[in-house]
Amino acid sequence: MKYAIKMTGPVQQVLRAMLEDAAVRRYGLEISKQAGLETGTLYPVMARLERVGWVESSWEDPDLSISDGRPRRRYYQLTKDGAEQARLALAEISLRREKRRSSLTSARPGPLGASL
Amino acid sequence: MTSRPQIQAQPPACHDDALAGLREILRVTRPDAHVERIQRAYDVAASWHRGQTRRSGDPYITHPLAVATILAETGADDEMLCAAMLHDTIEDTPYTLAALSCEFGAGVAALVAGTTALDQIKGRGRRVSQVMAAVKCADTRVLAIKLADRLHNMRTVQFIPQVKQLRKARESLDIFVRVAAQLGMDTIEVELEALAYATMKRNRHARSASGRLLLAVAALLPAAIRTRWCEEWLAELHTLPARRDRVRFAIHTASGIPRLAFTVRMPAWGHRRSG
Repeated sequence: MKYAIKMTGPVQQVLRAMLEDAAVRRYGLEISKQAGLETGTLYPVMARLERVGWVESSWEDPDLSISDGRPRRRYYQLTKDGAEQARLALAEISLRREKRRSSLTSARPGPLGASL
Repeated sequence: MTSRPQIQAQPPACHDDALAGLREILRVTRPDAHVERIQRAYDVAASWHRGQTRRSGDPYITHPLAVATILAETGADDEMLCAAMLHDTIEDTPYTLAALSCEFGAGVAALVAGTTALDQIKGRGRRVSQVMAAVKCADTRVLAIKLADRLHNMRTVQFIPQVKQLRKARESLDIFVRVAAQLGMDTIEVELEALAYATMKRNRHARSASGRLLLAVAALLPAAIRTRWCEEWLAELHTLPARRDRVRFAIHTASGIPRLAFTVRMPAWGHRRSG
């Protein structure tokens, strides 16, 4: 673990969802749907990602929301550096997972492993 | 109403252009206006407010200039226009009333002092009837400056936290719209009322059960970041059309607030590196 942020499950889910199109600015509610996370889990994750600089957030243009008659929303977007590091971290994690899986199957090929 | 885009589009740092919109209006409403005196009031106010900004990020001087422009549209006299330019200098900068009186005369100073005093009357916790009683005794020119001040603040209300927006809107309806009606300032009355209702409608979710749940639990967050999160959540709440979804969103988000508070209060947490 050499990342700026602890790569917990929810953090990975958020990053995967955002990396689908790293350039797009998204609202919290949108990310929570795409990542399959409840908002109660999402917002603390966003706060951590923002703090380490992987994600940045900004208000939408208030004049736009005013003309729609609603309050301004907050956008999140991966930073360039954040997107790079996130890609790297996710790739490393899936590589490690694959290795572990293949070493598990090669170490226990017997009927016991199959029945479990 | 026609001057509104001009006010916002004016480049405030450039002295030559800053008053162009105002001059244009004065040419129609007050051809006899003493423009140099108003320009001097602008220059003095701009130098005292230098470095200060509005919530929108604009230089502070854009606000007194906009207030003066609103008043110019109503045909206000030179003293009122100067006082409008200087109306926040006494309260918010080291400029003194004595110095102001020396530079611009006792008439302008009295208007600025009256405007500043009126701010103190309508402090929080006062009943509307008490404020209205105080308003009855106030100078009508001072009231007109306060009205223009409030109108510009309501035009730019989107930059303050939602709960405050609601309070300002309520206050505008309870007090300022009524004062405008009494003074016969119809254009201001109509625009102010429309802005206040639009603001209340836009922020109505801050008063719903879901909004109040979020605002109550958000008390766990440090004050410095609380409004940012509250504003974000109330805006998201607004996008959910079904009440059930709003309640769900509020409950789930509120349940994450303790963790969010923990995350932001722990400076090293996010940066910790192991191995």
